[in-house]
Amino acid sequence: MLLLGNEAVVRGAIEAGVAFASGYPGTPSSEVTDAFARLAKRAGIVFEYSVNEKVAIEMAFAASLAGARAITAMKHLGLMVAGDPLTTIPYIGVRGGMVIVSAGDPSCLTSPNEQDQRYLGPMLHIPVLDPTTPQDALTLTRLAFELSERSSLPVLLRITTRVAHTRAPVLYGALGTREVRGFERDPRRLVPIPANARVMRMQIPKRLDTARRTMEELFRVEGEGACIVLASGAPAATCADVLHELGAEANVALATMRGVYPFPEQALVNLLRRADKVLVLEELSPFIEDTLLALSARHGLSVTTLGKRSGHLPEPFEYTPEIIARALFDAFGLGTPHSATAPAPGTADLPARPPVLCSGCPHRATYFAARAAFPEDQLFFSDIGCYTLGFGPPLDTADALLCMGAGFTLAAGVSRMTGKRTVGFMGDSTFFHSGIPPLLNAIKESVSMVAVILDNGVTAMTGFQESPATGLENGKITHRAPIADVARALGANDVQIVDPVKDLAGTILAFEGARDAKGVSVIVVEHPCPVWESRLTGAPSSRTIFEIDPDRCATCGRSGCGMRCDLDISRGHERHMARSRALEGWTAAAPEAAWPQPVAPCAVHCPLGLCVQGYAGHIAAGQYERALALIMSRLPLPDSVCRVCHKPCEEVCVRAGHDGPVAINDLKRFVMDWAARRERLPYDPPKEPDHDRSVAVVGAGPAGLAAAHELRLRGYAVILYDAEAEPGGLLRYGIPQFRLPPDALRRDVDRILALGVAFQGGCFLGRDIKLSALVESHSAVFLALGAQMPARLDLPASPGAPPHLDALAYLKRAKDGGLTTARRVVVIGGGNAAVDAARTARRAGALHVLIAYRRGREEMPAIATEIDAAAEEGIEVRTHLQPTALAAGGVVFARTQPGAPDASGRPRPLVVEGSEELYETDLVLLATGQSPALDDLALERTDGGGLRVDSETAATSHPRVFAGGDLAGGARTVTEAIAWGLRAAWGIDRSLRGAEASDRRPPAPLMSAWPHPQTQRTRYRRADNVWRQAPPHLLPDTRADSFDEVVGALTEAQARTEAARCAVCGMCGNCRACIDLFGCPAFYLADGHVAIDPGACNGCGVCVVFCPNGAIRPALERS
Amino acid sequence: MTPNGRFRLLVVGVGGQGVLSVARVLGEAALAEGKPVVLGQLHGMSQRGGSVESTVVIGPGYSSFIGPAAADALLALEPIEALRAVPRLSRRARVVISTGKVPPFTLAQKGLPYPDLSGMLSALREATCEVVTLDGPAIARAAGSSRSLNLVMLGALAALQILPLDPQSIVRVVESACPGGPAGRRAFALGMKAVSP
Repeated sequence: MLLLGNEAVVRGAIEAGVAFASGYPGTPSSEVTDAFARLAKRAGIVFEYSVNEKVAIEMAFAASLAGARAITAMKHLGLMVAGDPLTTIPYIGVRGGMVIVSAGDPSCLTSPNEQDQRYLGPMLHIPVLDPTTPQDALTLTRLAFELSERSSLPVLLRITTRVAHTRAPVLYGALGTREVRGFERDPRRLVPIPANARVMRMQIPKRLDTARRTMEELFRVEGEGACIVLASGAPAATCADVLHELGAEANVALATMRGVYPFPEQALVNLLRRADKVLVLEELSPFIEDTLLALSARHGLSVTTLGKRSGHLPEPFEYTPEIIARALFDAFGLGTPHSATAPAPGTADLPARPPVLCSGCPHRATYFAARAAFPEDQLFFSDIGCYTLGFGPPLDTADALLCMGAGFTLAAGVSRMTGKRTVGFMGDSTFFHSGIPPLLNAIKESVSMVAVILDNGVTAMTGFQESPATGLENGKITHRAPIADVARALGANDVQIVDPVKDLAGTILAFEGARDAKGVSVIVVEHPCPVWESRLTGAPSSRTIFEIDPDRCATCGRSGCGMRCDLDISRGHERHMARSRALEGWTAAAPEAAWPQPVAPCAVHCPLGLCVQGYAGHIAAGQYERALALIMSRLPLPDSVCRVCHKPCEEVCVRAGHDGPVAINDLKRFVMDWAARRERLPYDPPKEPDHDRSVAVVGAGPAGLAAAHELRLRGYAVILYDAEAEPGGLLRYGIPQFRLPPDALRRDVDRILALGVAFQGGCFLGRDIKLSALVESHSAVFLALGAQMPARLDLPASPGAPPHLDALAYLKRAKDGGLTTARRVVVIGGGNAAVDAARTARRAGALHVLIAYRRGREEMPAIATEIDAAAEEGIEVRTHLQPTALAAGGVVFARTQPGAPDASGRPRPLVVEGSEELYETDLVLLATGQSPALDDLALERTDGGGLRVDSETAATSHPRVFAGGDLAGGARTVTEAIAWGLRAAWGIDRSLRGAEASDRRPPAPLMSAWPHPQTQRTRYRRADNVWRQAPPHLLPDTRADSFDEVVGALTEAQARTEAARCAVCGMCGNCRACIDLFGCPAFYLADGHVAIDPGACNGCGVCVVFCPNGAIRPALERS
Repeated sequence: MTPNGRFRLLVVGVGGQGVLSVARVLGEAALAEGKPVVLGQLHGMSQRGGSVESTVVIGPGYSSFIGPAAADALLALEPIEALRAVPRLSRRARVVISTGKVPPFTLAQKGLPYPDLSGMLSALREATCEVVTLDGPAIARAAGSSRSLNLVMLGALAALQILPLDPQSIVRVVESACPGGPAGRRAFALGMKAVSP
């Protein structure tokens, strides 16, 4: 029969009549217990997978005391777990023969260390046998039982990987009979209290002497040559092959020590007397070599001992034929010197293929959820099992590893010393093996840590042995010792059970809950190992497998309009996206079709088309520099816009109707304030080399500044003209400083001027400069005049009527410091200018300020939060009031009611006859809109009287004159004005340089050019609920008489929390989360695109649930 | 075969492909012929999609090592794994390779495609006695079980008569104790046919 060395051990034990077998699996010993598990019933052997090696050895000893032959098996590491009982068994002595099989692992092929178990022989008074081949393993196992009974000592059968995992023909012996003689009461011999122990100690030398006789018999010398080689274990067999290969058998006497302790002293001395030198071949430590040195000294022998001490052989690792051949040449000149073989060209560059968690492994989903929940710098401690493969990228969930059960201990110890909340991972089998005491210890000490028990139902790593937690009944998995109950019984209060494959969202939230809890949190992850499950059922665990939808994978919805960012994203950003998608709680069985949309609603409704989810993701990941780059690559006036934007994005945010829209502009503000604190702005816009074309930009408001910035980046010389002395336009003169402090605006303006934009203030178009002259002296002209002309409000004024003033003029005067104080102020209008003017009047000392608007509150064009802020400051806001006259001491208002829709589609306010009433006031501010001064411009007009301007290029009827902002109509906000500036720069560049123009595209006119304008708030589903973060505000009482900025910035923690609320509604072109974060081996890259290998996909569907782009779909049904 | 009569076959592949089963069948076939045989195999972490190898050494002796330039033949269930074994091949080695690629996950993580191995494969043809390649996965699918790639390749190896074994002894082991059932037997037969003239 062809047997593995491990199986030969089992055959030997059965031939010896073994009646009890136990063990704990561990490579390379596992096939010993596996074979017993298969055969025990048929062979009438009592067998168990013990919960750990200590229990296994104690059980075997108990069986021996019961008069049965007993065997127990474990790997070298497990033998150390069983150290305590092992030390006392030789004192008490065995009854039935007891054999301990311990498999060593030279070269650490499947273990964290090598160790030489032979030293336990002299240390604990235990005979040690060391088989050389599978056949030898059978013979020595059978013999070990007799040896054990003769000497009353347990026998250690030490094998190594090379013997355990070699499969070779093995000759069987006769089957012995099983016998259980029964337990004989004899407490004085069986209870080693000190008085008895001292008596027992005195018996040990006699026992060892008995064993020594067997060792002498096992000593074997083959060949008669003059070169003496003394070998043990696998190297003895390898050496025989090498000698055969060299044809050197006649020159050598090969002595094999199959019993290595007690030392066969007589045989060794006899051998040494024949030789003047001896080569010792033994793997790991110089155990025999040192014994020979001691023997030589004791017996006065002059033999030279060659081996590890002499440098002929290395100490670590397995001995290959090459190593042995080299030693034979060096020691005796046998054979030929080995030349180092050069590696074949190129093979060194072959990609490595380390082991990974299988496709569909629940551990991967657990680790993915943990990494999604905990911060990037979270410390994770791992343990021994398949889940050790969380080590390394992309899962990175093993910061340290020691031994079975230490995952929790390491987490606890590091937590106690650093004060950081740590996470320990451990499998179900390991938990029962030695994880319970460390968990109890951590609970006792109230350590701040999260203990995660990965219960896949089976001891998977070593070949699917049963776990104490689960068993099989009629082929079905049944729970025996529920881990959660065990944890609770140990005193754990916070215990959660999750299944990351069935409920990834719930698992992430459980981890987040544990992250924020105090003391020990326990999370039990229950999902059966799918490989084990399909072995049990004979069917794949899922019939459906998945494939990539190439139209959605790594696709940016902005590509079609030339606005794709092409900026890298970080792992943290990908994690934020994947977490957000996973928290929607869809399952692979019921995914949401066609989600996400190509472009998120916020971006569609942003006049600048900013990629909000992009910079939110960078902020969530703590990558502020990347966020800054993404914002500034599209927004030339970020310090201003992050304070004054009208935020159409937030109105359409999917969270708006639930836990509040994401505070998008506050996020931008956070990044800009972060950048302002740097010594140097960590962003340099890409600038083309200068060329000889120049553009005159008339008007230094937001549209003009944006165009000037963009044109400079495109290499144009730019002169920026403005009627005012300083650049900024409305930003400087129209928006009060408690909303936009001068420092913030200065940062924006300085950055633009620093690019080399020349500013000429005090130039009024038509008075100081002529359009015709500008067209003469520049390649193109951009008119961005803004709306300086106040709208007319023709009201009959009686004598004694209060003074009235245009609101913008009032705001400008406030900036100049020339405000007059009025006790009572009435502001007519409902836009931002009205609210700003009212709030300014309040700060200038007005006791009573009224904003009067002729339509309803919902229709007020001002930013809603600004209206609220005004109300907080004690400003009265009244709607449905239409002024009819300025009378002595005040304004006459009539009430209105909504009538038929007007041209704008809004209900026309109709005056209610007879409702006129006098409102007493000292000053009237008119904020009923402004219009541009167009009179002098000989350019084509629209029917409405505005300039006819191309909405995509800002071109006018004159080929070299462009216009935008207020001039083109419709630009009512700062952000929209900036968009006009960018479009004008693009239009100018394209008209002047044609195809040479830089391909950086401006934002399209609102929504019309998006490839998917249908993006809507149709869909909202989240497992989490996190309220919107609010930035600090000055209290209404303090701020109403101060011009200090009212709204502050989010703190860093707030900003990251708020950014992580982003639901990532749009697709991302830079995403590779499946490979970068999840790392399922079914994913591979083909032509730069992610693909799924149908042969490798296990169909778990976890990737479907978190794929940020919704790009993974069911493929064929598997037969 | 070495002068003193041991023939060394290296079987390589990826965890899960059935490398160990191939070696086992060859071992049983040798045993049936009464030839001494030793198989070496590495268990443990290599099963989780890692590189796996098994050695089949036929002839008198104990150890299952195949050292540098010592293999008389190579059966590779995956091309990268075949090339990884090149330093172990002797100049007289005969090589059978399944061309079906299993991309190592480390490549995707680094953003790299499966490497172009054609140059290295032609170098392998220069450096060894014979290289036979076949599309193992396609033949396995034709046999009705994509999991029986190992038996396809075993069939090819048997038909090429590379080993010092009678192909019929291998056939008999496959037919009596085939791990893959009827589809496995079909795969083995198709593998044999694929390389037969």
